[in-house]
Amino acid sequence: MITDQLMPPSPSPTVFVVDDDAAIRKAVSRLLRSTGIAVADFVSPTEFLAQYDPAMPGCLVLDLAMPGFNGLQLQTALDEKGSILPIIFLTGQGDVSNSVQAMKGGAFDFLTKPVNAKNLLPAIRAAIEKDAVVRQEQAKFSEIHTCLDTLTPREREVLRHVVAGKMNKQIAGDLGITEATVKMHRARVMAKMKVQSVAELARLAEQCGIRGTNSLKSAA
Amino acid sequence: MAFWQVGDSTNKQNLRVSRHHPMSWITIVWSINVGACLTLGAFYCAVWCKQRENWVHLLFSCSAVAAAAISAFELGMLNAQTVERYQALVRWIHLPTWVLTVSFVAFVRLYLRAGRRWLAWSIYGLRTLVLILNFISPVSVNFRTITDIHHFSWGGEIVSVPVGLPNPWGLISSFSVLLLLIFSVDATITVWRRGDRRRALLVGGSMIFGAILAWHVPLVIWGVIEVPFFLGFTYTAVVAAMGYELSNDMARAAHLARELEISDRRLNLAADSADLGLWEWDLSKDEIWVTPTRRAQLGFPVSGKITFEDLISRWHPDDRDKVRQALRDAIENGKDYEADFRRVLADGSVRWVAARGRVYADKQGKPIRLLGVSMDITARKQAELEAARQRHDLAHLARVTSLGELSSSLAHELTHPLTAILSNAQAAQRFLARDDADLDEVREILNDIVTEDQRAGEVIHRLRLLLKKGEPQKHCDDVDLNEVVRDVLKLMRNDLIIQNVTVDTDLAQNLPPVTADRVQLQQVLLNLVLNACEAMADCDSSERQLLIASKSENGTVRVSVTDLGGGIPEEKREQVFERFFTTKKEGMGLGLSICRTIINAHQGEIWATNNADRGATFHFSLPIVRSGALSAASPKVLDGSALTATDASAPRAAAPSVLLGAGANGSEAEELLVRSSSDLLERRQ
Repeated sequence: MITDQLMPPSPSPTVFVVDDDAAIRKAVSRLLRSTGIAVADFVSPTEFLAQYDPAMPGCLVLDLAMPGFNGLQLQTALDEKGSILPIIFLTGQGDVSNSVQAMKGGAFDFLTKPVNAKNLLPAIRAAIEKDAVVRQEQAKFSEIHTCLDTLTPREREVLRHVVAGKMNKQIAGDLGITEATVKMHRARVMAKMKVQSVAELARLAEQCGIRGTNSLKSAA
Repeated sequence: MAFWQVGDSTNKQNLRVSRHHPMSWITIVWSINVGACLTLGAFYCAVWCKQRENWVHLLFSCSAVAAAAISAFELGMLNAQTVERYQALVRWIHLPTWVLTVSFVAFVRLYLRAGRRWLAWSIYGLRTLVLILNFISPVSVNFRTITDIHHFSWGGEIVSVPVGLPNPWGLISSFSVLLLLIFSVDATITVWRRGDRRRALLVGGSMIFGAILAWHVPLVIWGVIEVPFFLGFTYTAVVAAMGYELSNDMARAAHLARELEISDRRLNLAADSADLGLWEWDLSKDEIWVTPTRRAQLGFPVSGKITFEDLISRWHPDDRDKVRQALRDAIENGKDYEADFRRVLADGSVRWVAARGRVYADKQGKPIRLLGVSMDITARKQAELEAARQRHDLAHLARVTSLGELSSSLAHELTHPLTAILSNAQAAQRFLARDDADLDEVREILNDIVTEDQRAGEVIHRLRLLLKKGEPQKHCDDVDLNEVVRDVLKLMRNDLIIQNVTVDTDLAQNLPPVTADRVQLQQVLLNLVLNACEAMADCDSSERQLLIASKSENGTVRVSVTDLGGGIPEEKREQVFERFFTTKKEGMGLGLSICRTIINAHQGEIWATNNADRGATFHFSLPIVRSGALSAASPKVLDGSALTATDASAPRAAAPSVLLGAGANGSEAEELLVRSSSDLLERRQ
C-alpha cells in the first residue's frame, strides 16, 4: 500500500517501509517525511514484492518478524531477483539468530525497536547514498557494456591485446594481420569506447572484467 | 333350696355376744388389709398422676382400691346384723369386683403383654353382664332373696354368712371366674415361655391362685363350706404380686436413670473432648436441646428453652439462609441434614461447624424431631483455605513462569507502541522545527501518540492481571471463551511468529458465557498453546499449524487446541496431567497439572486425545452459566470452598414456620468443597 506517494517515476530515492504494524508504519513514514525523504509503505513483504520495481532507487526499512512471509524471506526473495536495494532491518529485542541471518544475507543495517531518529535517519541516508553509488556504477557499467556490444569480434580481439599492453607490431604478428590494420581497429575501438587514452581503455576493460590476451604466441 | 335356710336362734345369740366383742381379730386383719390396699392404691395413683402415659399404674391403683373396697364390704358382711344390711352389701360388692376384674385383665394385657384378647373381652363383657344382672335382680346376682343370716364360730370369732335363695344368674358370675382362670393360665404360660419366669410365677401364679380361691364364694353361698368370705385377701395377694413387680420396675427405672445419667456424662465427656455438640430439635414445640458444653459456648443459660431462632441467631449472618435451606430440605424431603457454616461464639470468635442430622417422623410420617451432631471443623477449614492459597500461589507461579516464556512476545507488544510513539514524537519535533510548521500534522501526531500510549498501557494492564496474585475468590464473572482465545493469541502473537506457527481458529458464534476467573482461563489456554508449539518445534516450519476451536455442547462450552506434533504415547495420555510429569528437558511438569486444577475448580473437565492423522488435541470444557441464577456447577470461588447458588425455587408448603423467616426463600448459596486434588502439567513431545 502506498499512502504517501506513488512510486516516483523519476529516479529520486524513496524509502520503502514494510511493517505489519500500522502505527509503526505511519510513524516511521512521518518521521522520514519530516526530513523530506520520500516514503512508500507496505503492510506486508508480499505486497511490497508485488509492486517492486528494481529501477526505483532508495532503501528498504523492513520489520523482521511478521506473520507468514517475514522479513528474512523478503530479503532472500529480493536477492534472488538481483535487487541491490539496501535493507535496514528493524527488530524487537532478542532475535539474535535472526539478526545474524539477516546480516549474513547482506543487510545494510540492523536497528532495534524502538528506533531513535538519531540512528535511523543516518542509516537511511547512508543506505540511500550507497544505493545511489551502486546505481551510478551500474549505470556506468551498463554504458560500457553498450559500447562493448558495438565492437566487432575482430575489434574485441584487438582490444584484449591492447589491454594486455602489447605493441601494434606484436598484435599484428599475433593476429597475422598488418600493423596498419591493427592501427585502424585500435582507433575504431577507442572511438566506440569513447576513450582518449589506452590507460582509460584499460581501466574500462578492467571494470568490465575483460582480460588482456598475453600468450597468443605460444597458442599459435 | 330350702335346705339353705338353716340357722337357729342359738347362733343368733352367739353372734350378738360377739358383736359386743370390741375388737375381733377378724376385724383387725380385714381392716389392715383394707388399709394396706388403699395405701398401695393411693401411692400408685400418685405415681400415675406424674406419669400419665403409664396406664399400668392407674390400673394397679384401681385394682388395689377395688381390693380394699371388697375387703371392706366383706368385713361389713361378716359383721352384718340385719338381712337388709347384708342384702345391700352383697349387692354393692359387685361394683368393686367388676372394677377389680377389669383392672386385672387390663393389667395383664398391658403390663405382661399376655393373655388372649378375645378372652379378655369375654371377661369384660361377662363381668359387665353380671353387674347389670346384679342390679336388676331383686337382691343380687348371687341371691334371689336373703332370708336370714347364719352366724357361726370361725377361728374363735363369730362370723355371719347369708341364708337365702341363690340366684341362678350367679352361674354366669362363676363362669366369668372360670374364664378369668383360663385367661390367667394362658397369660402365665405366655410369659413363662417368653422367659420372664419370675413374673409369670408371681403375677400369673397369684392370679391363678386368686381365681381358684374365688370359687369359695359360690361354695359358701351354696352352703357347701362354712367359712367367711375372704375374697379380699385373695385379691390382695394378686395386688401384692402386681405391686411387687411394679416396685421392681420402679427400682429398675431408678437404676436406669442413674445409669443413664452416668452414660449421659460419659457421652458429654466424649462429645466435649471431640468438640462435638449433640442436639435435638423438637419440631412441634420448636424447642432445641444441645449438650451443656455447646450450650455454654453458644452463650445460652444453663437451663431454659432454646428455639430455632435463638440458635440460628448464633450463626454467622451470611450462613443463616444456607442452614435454613438445608434444614428445609431435610424436613420436607426426608434427606439427611448436612451443612457447614460459621458459628459466632459468645466471645465473638468465629468457628466453622459441620452439622449432620436426621429427621424422625411420627407414624403418620409427619416430621417431629431432628436429631444431630455438630463438630468443629475450623482447623480443617483453615487447612483447606491454606491448601487453596497454596494452589493459588502455585498457579500464580506457573503463570509467571509461562509469561517468562512469552517474554519476547511481551517485549514486542510493548515495543510496538513505544516505537510508534518515539518516531511520532521525533517527527513532530522536526515538523515544528520548520518555519512552515504544519500544525494539523502535529495535532494528528499527538493524537496518534496518545493512542499508542494507551495501547502500551493496555498491554501493561493485561500483563499486570496475569502477574498479579490477587484474591482467589474475587475474579469470577461471565466469560466469553472466544474472547479468552483472542486475548491469548494477541499475547502470544510474536512468539507464534518467531516459531513460525500458523494459528487457525474455528470459534463458534454466540458462544454462551461461562462463570470463571478470566485470568486463570487465559493461563490454561496459554499453557495449552505453549505446549502445542513446543510439540511442533521439530516439525517442518510449513507444518507448524495450530487449530483452536470452540463450541457449545451438552450444557458446556468446549475449547480444543489441536497441534500437528508427535502426539502423546497412548499410555501417557492420562499421565500428562500429573504433577511433575514432563518430557521437556527443562520442564517442571507443572503446567498441565495446574491447568487441570484450574479447570476442576471450575467444575470443568480437561483431557487429551490423539488426532487421527498426527498430533494431539487438548480439550477443556466448562459448564454454561444458566440464565437468571448462577448454576450449581459454576464456581463462585475457585479455590478452597466454592460458594455456589442453587436454583431459586418457591418455598415448599410443608416447611415449618420457623424456617420461613426472613431470608428463607430465594436462592441459597451452598458450599461445595473443591476437589482438592491438584494435578499437573506439562506435556513434552
